Amino acid sequence: MFFSGVSSKLKSIAGRDAVLDKHEDLMLYEYDGSLARGEPKYVVFPQTTQQVSEIVKLAKREGLAIVPRGAGTGLSGGSIARQGGIVLAFARMNRILEIDLPNLRATVQPGVVNLDLSGALTPHGFYFAPDPSSQKACTIGGNVAENSGGPHTLAYGVTVNHVTGLEVVLPEGRTVQLGGAAASSAGYDLTGFFVGSEGTLGIATAITVKITRLPESVATLLAIYDDVQAAGNTVVALTSAGITPAAIEMLDGWTLRAVEASVHAGYPIDSAAVLLIELEGLREAVEEQAELVSQLCRKCSAREVRRARDESERQLLWKGRKTAFGAIGRISPSYYVQDGVIPRTRVPETLRKIDEISRKYSLTIGNIFHAGDGNLHPLILFDARDADQTQRTLDAGREILEFCIGIGGSITGEHGVGMEKQDLMCTLFSDSELEVMRRLRNCFNPDSLLNPQKMLPSPRTCREAVSPGHPSLDGPSVHSEVTLQ
Amino acid sequence: MTHGVTMQVGMHSRFETLLGSNRILAEPTVLERYAIEGISPRVVLQPENAEEISAILRVCNEQQWTVVPFGSGTHQEVGRVPEAVDVVLSTEKLNKVEAYDPGDLTISLEAGVRVANAVAACTEYQQLLPIEGEGGTIGGALALAQSGPLRVGFGGLRDFCIGISFVTGDGVSGRGGGRVVKNVAGYDLMKLFIGSYGSLGVITSANFKVFPMPRQTITLICEFRLLADAIRLRDVLLTSPLSALACEIISPAATEYLRDWEPRDPDHWAPETPKSSSDTPWKLALRFAGSDRVLQRVRRELSSSISSDLNGEEETELWRQIGMFENRLVARHRNAMILHLEAPIAQSQTALEAAQAAAMDYNFVAAVIGRATISSFVIGFLPLAVDPPGVMQYAAAASDFRSRLSRSASAVAVRCPREAKQHFDIWGSTPTDLELMQKIKRALDPGGILNRGRFLVG
Repeated sequence: MFFSGVSSKLKSIAGRDAVLDKHEDLMLYEYDGSLARGEPKYVVFPQTTQQVSEIVKLAKREGLAIVPRGAGTGLSGGSIARQGGIVLAFARMNRILEIDLPNLRATVQPGVVNLDLSGALTPHGFYFAPDPSSQKACTIGGNVAENSGGPHTLAYGVTVNHVTGLEVVLPEGRTVQLGGAAASSAGYDLTGFFVGSEGTLGIATAITVKITRLPESVATLLAIYDDVQAAGNTVVALTSAGITPAAIEMLDGWTLRAVEASVHAGYPIDSAAVLLIELEGLREAVEEQAELVSQLCRKCSAREVRRARDESERQLLWKGRKTAFGAIGRISPSYYVQDGVIPRTRVPETLRKIDEISRKYSLTIGNIFHAGDGNLHPLILFDARDADQTQRTLDAGREILEFCIGIGGSITGEHGVGMEKQDLMCTLFSDSELEVMRRLRNCFNPDSLLNPQKMLPSPRTCREAVSPGHPSLDGPSVHSEVTLQ
Repeated sequence: MTHGVTMQVGMHSRFETLLGSNRILAEPTVLERYAIEGISPRVVLQPENAEEISAILRVCNEQQWTVVPFGSGTHQEVGRVPEAVDVVLSTEKLNKVEAYDPGDLTISLEAGVRVANAVAACTEYQQLLPIEGEGGTIGGALALAQSGPLRVGFGGLRDFCIGISFVTGDGVSGRGGGRVVKNVAGYDLMKLFIGSYGSLGVITSANFKVFPMPRQTITLICEFRLLADAIRLRDVLLTSPLSALACEIISPAATEYLRDWEPRDPDHWAPETPKSSSDTPWKLALRFAGSDRVLQRVRRELSSSISSDLNGEEETELWRQIGMFENRLVARHRNAMILHLEAPIAQSQTALEAAQAAAMDYNFVAAVIGRATISSFVIGFLPLAVDPPGVMQYAAAASDFRSRLSRSASAVAVRCPREAKQHFDIWGSTPTDLELMQKIKRALDPGGILNRGRFLVG
């Protein structure tokens, strides 16, 4: 049938031009920034909370899965329609509803692009602090779902530290309010609990965030090293010395050369690593800290410490960092980015371990870190057309994350678990701990029709993950199910 | 009551199997010390680890024995009067620092560790754990979402608690977060448990970010005849590049509670009404950290507003006094009602004026301190010495005050005479959906045994 019943019902809810149901259109919505794919049956572009609620009720009646989607920049498969169903795309709910300067809040629809909010706030002297590298495209709704971070979360915190209120449509269709404009309120902090739930609890349709005043002064330093270990040692030294820059980013030699070849950010291509360190705040404090940081970097064997002379130089240095993934895309058919987190005192040994893993699997691994908070982004290069290489890539990725867990770290600092790291959740958490999380999901999403098979592994996946001798038949394991680009 | 007695004996021996006999307290005089709002428990248990807590809760859940998680007992009068108190589950023996990595600026603490001890451990390394409420325990601070002046500079517990372990009402071990400062694996259970007042589970340990200790601070005192003028300076600060570590507003009536005071036996002495005269000012106490040059700049920018400045011991003393404000109110006025107000920033002034007005209408005097830049306040409703308020006037004052607040504000009566509690809802309204809260409570405490009847939902 050309128009299925569901399709015409969706059209009557959201409008004739707000529904996609043809394969060639749906293909554009089968992927995100991760390696996973899954084609939905329908894509709908709601324009109001009311429509979202009606669509959700329809999906429940029809037994269809619902997968919310912002800009599709996610790196863990959070917006992949794993069971087909309906993708709820928020491109048309992209209005800033209110800029409330007296309360230092803004309320936005979920489809507002991260950088657009900051753009609207800048004339008033404010911005939205969480700054994922994809901030030119990614949406605040997506940031809420994934609890996104970014380079400057070192000083300002991740998304959850900036959200005070939410309007949420629950999988049953009911619209509820969580929190509001006040910094906190009586009862459970369901706002905080909702952020980072990866679309498994409800659909945020309005988001109230804190706005942050623009810093008076910014200094951006580039510390250049001939030895990657020395750069790692600098991170430990800065943290221990109690210096808290707004951002400390690290790129290793291989990665910075790839970046240079693409954007000419000004990273010396003969170096083994660079640290990009940003200091923000009161002019006097920034000057003093810049001096202190430079001294410390040199003490830790930095070959040179440069300081961006003006805003355009600063922007260029950051462009190198923020477009690094794209730069890698130019030189490798595929790459697999990890998001492990480690205690900051363990940066140097983790670098050694990644190097070891790279040799063991004969794969090139570039390192790009939010070093200041121990959040690693090793980039494993491979060719997805080569099945053997692909398997080695997945194994290497897994080994890196297992190492992170082993030294007291985590499998994801800001990208989310999604469908990519579900089986590692069984390593990170015990059965009973996962059981508690499942109970909580069921309070919101009892039939798991909302973003099914994400974040929480099924109890069965965990049993299989600990006994590798029994390969999964249909279980949602990354190894068997991920279709690679 | 033969049945009850046998049941008790049966439970006692089950607890003994789990804990041995040394960590079970059942002498009537001891039980009285652990009474919650006048209700003595049947038994006090002192488990040493999460496994024991889990075993205890399984037994209690199965037998429908109610449980009150208990830290140091400094805030057990918060909440509604419990429906029943069978077991007080003390975290006293969970008192270890599990790990402290000064180089990574993180610390892991068992729930029964005293806040003061944890803070002291960090101070040794010139680091700051910005948890307030020195008399309490880590678990208690989390359960209450304890906050104080430092919340302005370092955020609240929800911002720097990075991991939590707990046992649910039916004995299942749960955990959220971890030991690293950035982590999005799994649901953020820290947020759920912070401020849950022991209604969802027993917190067994938690991990925190710590901060470098500021090397040098000053505190500037600014005085104002009118609240509006204090709020105006607050607004200037909010848009200026200066960032304060603390920004505490002090109402005229609050002033006299910020100095040491000899407590007198409240049973034999009617406390005086605070006697702020019309010339006692509103104050803002602003604390800044930084180098000499930074602090010079701060002074320069605020010069027209500063009445005095404090540093060294004098400064430490002021903040110590502010930290003890609530205790002082209660020590002097046994019948004080204390509300915690969280309001949108732009509503600070109207909310505080509403408190003053409501207090006056019902025979109280309002004394306020709080975090001006985040609009989070502690409001003492202090009974007049002559013609003190009757029981119903507590309820009336609280509802009158709340009726003048916007929907997104919360005003929780954290302390209130027991007799008055049954006449109004000490929790008040919340913008957050109650049905969801109810479901969550049932999911983690299916038997409804934890702090039964005390919390907003349950």
